Amino acid sequence: MQDSNQHHELNAYVGTIVGESTSREFRLAVAHEAIREQDIIAVDAQLRSTTPGVLPEQLRIWAKVQRIERMNPLFPSEAGHELAATRTDPFDTVLSLSREMVTAVCQVLGAERFGTDAVGRLDQLRYPPQPATRAYRPASEDLVRVLLGDLGKNDRRALDIAVLANRPEVDVKVDGHAVVTRHLAILAMTGAGKSWAARRIVEELAKRQYPIVIFDPHGDYTGLADVKGLGNRVRRYYAQLPLFEEDADTVARIVSDLGYGLRDTMRFRFPDVFEAARSFFDCNDTELAKRIASLGELAGNSVHTYGVQPNMWLIANMASAGRFAVLDGKTSLVTWDWPELARYNRRDAATLEAIEKRSRSAASVLHRMERINRSIARAADPLPIDRRQIVGDGSISIISLAGYTSDFQATIYSIIADDLFEARVQDPDSWPVLLVLEEAHNFAPAQSRTPAESRAITTTRQIAQEGRKFNVGLILISQRPSRLDETTLSQCNSYVIMRMVNPADQNFVRRVVESLGEDDARMLPDLDVGEAILSGQLVKFPTLVRLKEPESAGEREERDAFAVLDEVRRNNPSSASAR
Amino acid sequence: MSTHDRSENWGTSEAVDIDLQRQRHLFLKLAENAFLVAESLRDNYFKNTAAFITALRRAMMRQDSILATSAVDDLAWDDCAGEVVTFVDGGVGQVQISSQVPILLRVGSYCVRTGERQLASRESFGYYPVILGDLEGGSKERKDYIDIVRISAELLGGLSALDRTQDLNVLMFHGPLMYLVEAYAGHAPFTERDIDLFLGQYGTTSDQGRDLKEEFLRQARIDIYPAMTDDARRLVERRLFEPLAWIAFLYRSLIRVARERPKPPVIVGVVERGDLREFIETVLLRRVFRGLREKQREDYFNTMYGRTDLVSEKALLDRLGYTDSLLMGMLLRPGEASEPWEVGKFAGLRGGQMGLPGEASTMPMRWEPLQPPSPFGFPPIVACYVHVSETTEPIRVEVFKELGIEHLREAARRAYLYARLLPGYGFPVGLDIADKYAKVPTWLTDAYGKIIRHQLGVSLQQGEISDADMRRILVQAIYMTHRDWLFRPQA
Repeated sequence: MQDSNQHHELNAYVGTIVGESTSREFRLAVAHEAIREQDIIAVDAQLRSTTPGVLPEQLRIWAKVQRIERMNPLFPSEAGHELAATRTDPFDTVLSLSREMVTAVCQVLGAERFGTDAVGRLDQLRYPPQPATRAYRPASEDLVRVLLGDLGKNDRRALDIAVLANRPEVDVKVDGHAVVTRHLAILAMTGAGKSWAARRIVEELAKRQYPIVIFDPHGDYTGLADVKGLGNRVRRYYAQLPLFEEDADTVARIVSDLGYGLRDTMRFRFPDVFEAARSFFDCNDTELAKRIASLGELAGNSVHTYGVQPNMWLIANMASAGRFAVLDGKTSLVTWDWPELARYNRRDAATLEAIEKRSRSAASVLHRMERINRSIARAADPLPIDRRQIVGDGSISIISLAGYTSDFQATIYSIIADDLFEARVQDPDSWPVLLVLEEAHNFAPAQSRTPAESRAITTTRQIAQEGRKFNVGLILISQRPSRLDETTLSQCNSYVIMRMVNPADQNFVRRVVESLGEDDARMLPDLDVGEAILSGQLVKFPTLVRLKEPESAGEREERDAFAVLDEVRRNNPSSASAR
Repeated sequence: MSTHDRSENWGTSEAVDIDLQRQRHLFLKLAENAFLVAESLRDNYFKNTAAFITALRRAMMRQDSILATSAVDDLAWDDCAGEVVTFVDGGVGQVQISSQVPILLRVGSYCVRTGERQLASRESFGYYPVILGDLEGGSKERKDYIDIVRISAELLGGLSALDRTQDLNVLMFHGPLMYLVEAYAGHAPFTERDIDLFLGQYGTTSDQGRDLKEEFLRQARIDIYPAMTDDARRLVERRLFEPLAWIAFLYRSLIRVARERPKPPVIVGVVERGDLREFIETVLLRRVFRGLREKQREDYFNTMYGRTDLVSEKALLDRLGYTDSLLMGMLLRPGEASEPWEVGKFAGLRGGQMGLPGEASTMPMRWEPLQPPSPFGFPPIVACYVHVSETTEPIRVEVFKELGIEHLREAARRAYLYARLLPGYGFPVGLDIADKYAKVPTWLTDAYGKIIRHQLGVSLQQGEISDADMRRILVQAIYMTHRDWLFRPQA
């Protein structure tokens, strides 16, 4: 191997170590344009063994070019200003333009020992590289070996998600085990390629039959069903707000939050109505049929229009039925787990009427959200009552949250995530699962403003902190990292960080992501779309990569606005331009 | 040179006041002078100086101007397209052992072809290092020893630039083209080995260096040494190089090579700062005093400054501390050059004693034969002042008189053009580049310092230095720092 290496070195020289080197960093006088920032380079070294009589160790020191400083010490900036002021071409003057000093600051990644079984493994360097040593561009196969490290022995864990940004011929495979157990955060501004990255990772995990549940607020993952080999394993669910898994106060607040505020008298009576509605189905089929018929008689058309389901319509209908029962003196509803109804007077009937109107309006809004949700979810199924059923061997479950407000999304998420986590805690034989949280700042916000958000934070934190023990993993995806819960994010041990220009987000990421160096962080606003810095346990060292294209398309990939307009025109032959 | 057009306003006291306040460096220099002059002159120093400048400006605006100036800002970069210019500068590396010791000299050259787009053919750099410890000649105990070595090396660097660049248009040295050489008389001669070390870096071929050396020795044997000493054989037989005769030979070689070219290159030295007062003493104030005598106003300065002893140019300058750059800074506007004058640098070349390398005795020498117009002496120099910008002192530009007075104007125009790229420094940018290139880097002198200390340490350890006092001194030289507790003064 060393012969070929020596030959390669001759052609791959990039510079020479100068100045003071340490075991963590050294500076390289660089051959003109020989390297780029974030390039991975190597320096050979020989270290005397501490054991007497043992031959010196042959090492290859691997390093990453953190930054490149280029200056012309013979070109005074004052002269530059004069040239600018007088619009003079420097070539026309006596100024020196040829003597550039290019220095690269390189971070030591580790040392690879030759002649041992540990080839490909990087150990901590304990002695600085020798000044005046030649640095060279390593061969692609050597780079692959080092990037893979121990993963080379366990291909099942290696997720093929990217190539080196500066060396496209070098595949970068990441540790799938770290992704699914130690949590991953994908952080980037809008349009930088977050969903692209997430879909690629999900596809790689799906190929390995890992169960995945995706909380999808925008329908970005519905295209997974179209990927060959995954289609029959992808299940899409539309989500309904499980109202009757909440308490009465929460549901009362939901009604108010939707814009139909309940006054104190209504809030006082609302729990009675809510409990009666919740208990409506707690009976045998014969009784249920009778109840539905009675409800239809008392509440009227609405029951026929929307049916009897455990939803907000039922609360409205129950309030309506209660009002008529009070006014007509009927007492049958008392046996529907509404004992207080017997003591209601006409004033209470008026309160029930107000509750009915507000609940009905809220139900209408909720219904509209659900309709949008189902529309975006495309031919989706309703969530099963036993939510543990959405996780199975190799299953990919996409829970559409589109159409709902962030508060409702948080509520739906926390109820499902709680169930799945609980299932793993209770039953070690239940399937491990990876939860993918798009717009994760809605599920683990830095500050909770509503009870729904508080509950979601609690759920996410618990999974982030304890999920590893129960094989429940998280992929957090966010375009506003600074709005993410810091505790949750700091529990992520792997990061895919993409273009980010917001200073608050950059600073937050720099603070929270320990494995991200200062120079890496400075690159964030300059990354291209699709470029990312992989950092943390999924890679051996922070690496600048270009992510590979996922096979699936996003449902809501942005289309050209004018192409959409043309399409609508074609579909509407009566429009002016069509004519 | 013709008188530059000036507005009436320039000669008013208000304009002088404004100029003084605007040119901070002049203001500070005057403030410094005010503290140094006699107390009786101090109170009205600013006011009287301003009045004197106002009078001088008015005198310059008269038809029979007391001082001619000319514009040198009429050259543009387009006019110089394709010109080849070499800048030469020498730097000295000092090493801290127990005090600063000069150890290494490096002459750097920067050659550039203006307008050339290909960097490889546009620029070239050269350097000529000399390790002083390698030299046998020169009187190392003298403080100006380093100067004669540097002058020799810089002149060889200039000759080398001429040799290497056949189409050279301008050869520009950092510092005076000619130093006050009279101060350097009496240094022990360089040995042939010294000259070989100098010439090791010189010339495109080894023959050129050898030819130069042999030509000097030939001239020295036939004309120079016999004129300088009655015992010329001692120098000739040992093939020694009397430093001033050698330096004069190098100057003449520069002129000879330049003259061989179809269009002789402009050879110029540019001085950035200086306390020279020769121009105002021998040219400007001489005319002033003559005019005062003509008008029977000999007491003009005594009346103005309230003294009785300001009766001559020298007395005036001695008392008031005016220098060329101070007065010319107030009399020249940016883009102007003063009229030329022939600089007197050789009047002090007289007789004296000179030691020889390896010999205890000295021998009598005569240095008058090196004064111009001797055929083997120093060539005469003409100079002028050029004012680059309001924020800087005027620079002095010197050329060889023998290459033609028109070279001074061309040199001044180029010095101004090159210096305009550094208006805050007011000095040709190419010389700044050569200066940076010639500078002996700290890491190198530090490294030499370490090597020297190491060698001394090894010698001490191996018992090679047995003298107790010497050992003590060396230990202190190697290890002592000003704050070293071990070497604190004994109570």
